[in-house]
Amino acid sequence: MSSRDQTDEKLERLVGQVLRDQPLRRAPASLEARVLGELAARARLPWWRRGITTWPVAVRIPVLVCCAVCVPLVWVLSLWLAGHVVDVTTHPAVVGPITNVLDAGRTVAALGTIIAHIFQSIPREWLLGGVLATATVYAALFALLAAGYSLLWPRPRYSKAQLT
Amino acid sequence: MRAYQDMVFSTAVRLTANPAQAEDISQEVFLRAYEGFDHLRASPKVGGWLKTVATNLTLNHLTRHRKRWRLFSEVFSDDSRDEELESAAAVFDGVVTELEADERRARVEKALERLPDHQRIPLVLYHYEEMPYQDIADRLGVSLAKVKTDILRGRIAMAGLLAQSGIGSPDGARHPSATRGAQS
Repeated sequence: MSSRDQTDEKLERLVGQVLRDQPLRRAPASLEARVLGELAARARLPWWRRGITTWPVAVRIPVLVCCAVCVPLVWVLSLWLAGHVVDVTTHPAVVGPITNVLDAGRTVAALGTIIAHIFQSIPREWLLGGVLATATVYAALFALLAAGYSLLWPRPRYSKAQLT
Repeated sequence: MRAYQDMVFSTAVRLTANPAQAEDISQEVFLRAYEGFDHLRASPKVGGWLKTVATNLTLNHLTRHRKRWRLFSEVFSDDSRDEELESAAAVFDGVVTELEADERRARVEKALERLPDHQRIPLVLYHYEEMPYQDIADRLGVSLAKVKTDILRGRIAMAGLLAQSGIGSPDGARHPSATRGAQS
């Protein structure tokens, strides 16, 4: 074992000893009152506003059964509804609105094409400049954050005079 | 609750270094204990259960609120020198015994609070919670090498802070390197 490892182990043992010798920190006197107050506030809540595990059995079991039944029921209802929707879409009264929605979609797609053309017409140098400017702003922001962090969490400095 | 409140609070406050947050966390621990009261009442492991819940809730709190700590502390290097280690260890060669026990305890707690988060948290988990390095690394989501470096630097910084606060041999802290750990 090298001398460094030995010193490392010694330091671990000594620091560990100092820390383990510390008694427990005394909890604030307000802690007990806070806990009891919160428990009392929870106890005052009506049963339906508490967790399901604390609900009366007479309510909890029917709710769980309902939930279990709901899953297949939703499946069946969805299939039934899907069949009806297909029928409804062929109805003349519904065809009109659907056509309008499709037209709106086409308009949006056309708008996208126009925007793409506009971007293509912008010189590549301008786009590159824009990207570089954005990156610079982000870098500056990051540098500001780093500077702020080191200001908020300053490293303690010790002068030689303090240590001797 | 009275039998365990100091233990729960100590666990939380040593990790957070913030008594107000530690009190909030302690309250949450006892509320959870109350929810599982029927199981816990007869259990001989109630102390261990409360300590584990307190540790987990505190670490969850720290990781939720201190993402920036992880981001900036990932940049590290183990540049502790041999003489730095020697000086730190020498701090304990002549522990000052004239201090009142309460005063001494307060100064040690203060020194621990002054450590930066990325050194104090793994140091507390290692020495108080007796977690292995790998478990600490997994729990904090950092590399094993970083945990080892942070704990080593934490110990060096702790030695420097103890010497500075009048506990330990002032000779041990004559090397500026002995207190350098707290800066990194």
